[in-house]
Amino acid sequence: MMAQLILNGLVTGLLLALPALALTLIFGILKFPNFAIGSMLTTGAYAAWIGNSLLGMPLAVAAFFAALAMAAIAMLSDVLVFARLRDRGSITLLVASMGLSLILENICRFAFGNSTRNFAFDVARPIRWHGLRINHEQLITAVTVIICVILIQLLLYGSPLGRAMRAVSDNPSLAAVRGVERQTIARITWCLAGSLCALSGVLAALDRAVDPLLGWNYQIPIFAAAILGGLGSPAGAVAGALVIGLAEELSSLVLPTNYRQIVSFAVILGLLLLRTEGLFGRKAVRK
Amino acid sequence: MIAYLSTLVVLVAISALVGLALNLQWGVTGLVNFGVVGFVALGAYATALLAPALGWYGAMFVAALLCAVVSAVLALLSIRLEENYLAIVTIGFGEVVRILLLNESWLTGGAIGIADIPRPFVSLVSAVHYDIVLLLFSVALVAVIFVLLETLVRSPFGRALRAVRDDATVAAALGKPVLELRVKAFAIGGAVMGLAGSLHAFYLTYIDPSQFTSIITAYAFMAVIAGGRGSNIGLLFGAGTIMALLEAARFLKDAIAVIDGTQLAALRLGLIGVGIVLMLILRPQGLFAEPRRRVHDFFPDDGGP
Repeated sequence: MMAQLILNGLVTGLLLALPALALTLIFGILKFPNFAIGSMLTTGAYAAWIGNSLLGMPLAVAAFFAALAMAAIAMLSDVLVFARLRDRGSITLLVASMGLSLILENICRFAFGNSTRNFAFDVARPIRWHGLRINHEQLITAVTVIICVILIQLLLYGSPLGRAMRAVSDNPSLAAVRGVERQTIARITWCLAGSLCALSGVLAALDRAVDPLLGWNYQIPIFAAAILGGLGSPAGAVAGALVIGLAEELSSLVLPTNYRQIVSFAVILGLLLLRTEGLFGRKAVRK
Repeated sequence: MIAYLSTLVVLVAISALVGLALNLQWGVTGLVNFGVVGFVALGAYATALLAPALGWYGAMFVAALLCAVVSAVLALLSIRLEENYLAIVTIGFGEVVRILLLNESWLTGGAIGIADIPRPFVSLVSAVHYDIVLLLFSVALVAVIFVLLETLVRSPFGRALRAVRDDATVAAALGKPVLELRVKAFAIGGAVMGLAGSLHAFYLTYIDPSQFTSIITAYAFMAVIAGGRGSNIGLLFGAGTIMALLEAARFLKDAIAVIDGTQLAALRLGLIGVGIVLMLILRPQGLFAEPRRRVHDFFPDDGGP
């Protein structure tokens, strides 16, 4: 029972890891919390659903195209919205991201209605291993997310692009002096964040189903994970996501499952009270 | 006809109250509140639960007080950090209120909600003419709140709030208690949102969680952005225009047969999103820019330099 909860918690955490990474990467480069993260998840899931159910692609191929499409949408939203508001301060940017969230979510709702949709994907029998029940969806989630996280780490710490991204995140002016353009880096980060959101949207939809509120339901856990990890710290976001996933699943021992979302909110409040830099963050955000 | 007019006026009044509150929090003080709907719901439920025992005015008072206290606590927790945190904490608050309303059915009636909420001044007129009473009541409520908030914004307190919004560091350096000012502004805004919730409860006389969706928050932001952040007159105009446009959009459904109810709702919300983004990019000061007050406006005799 306990081991099963821990397993489920770790998988839930892995699911949160990709959007938390996306959130933290954008925060690192552009210094605002992107409230459209949930709706980017939803849009990605719908894009994959179109490829999978309407066009008959295998789910993996559909997910790949969804990631590409979401990268393009994220880039487009930067060109059309965020780039124009870059110098207006984080409050304006975060209100604009809420506006973008309304737009994306309601395009999905307008096109596909409120009903839930499922991928054309055969549900296989769960694997039993030492008394643990492991779904194939959980395996897929774990493998996909772990590969993505390793790739992102390699990108950030082993490539010139990653070095440029970290430079802009640390100190944009200094990076600019050294010839690293913030604009280009910002665009690439948006693409990266978009594809991460699309992938996690597909994984989330495997776990539940595709509907317009799919991403919104993850919004608070995603923020809790990123804040727990110290906003702007990629490794922290992943660790934070695992902690939040575990906390949500283990809370079912003491709380009715309806109250799972409150766990993430409580974690955020607790962090704000006790440890504002997050568990893994280095610098304090206190003004 | 008078029934429809009354409905429209009450709806505009509710959104004007919510908008005025958000204008104080975000427009004047610079504090983003994405949990607007949570405070409105809290006010409505407090009113519905207490009105039978305390009477309508007592219930309204307690609803406003409760929302003010909750706002102050949330603000205290997060405002001392970067402003960004208040946004996520208030979103979380909105969701928590929704979950509690749905699940704590011993108090809130769960998904069914609460019915037969007593209304103000019911004994004065016959039920047939009650629409007019409610219309006058909501106009009076908005007028009182408008005058109070406008006085507040023009007072030295309001000036300090704008200073905090424009540059908190400078305000602190000049000896303004930044934290205290922010918490006060947030609490006052919360109280007004609670009153909007009361009006909502009186108008419908039954409430359930499905009435309190993020649409309320989205409308409030649109009204503040359209009217011009910091301008209360603009806000009234913005709230009125938006509600009128949205009401007009209802008739679209009859005109365009291919759109069903869900699509119409999606279209309205999506357009609100487009409106917010476009206004922020193209006309950030809103239709009515915040009045730039000079020394002369505050000290007419002084003449100034």
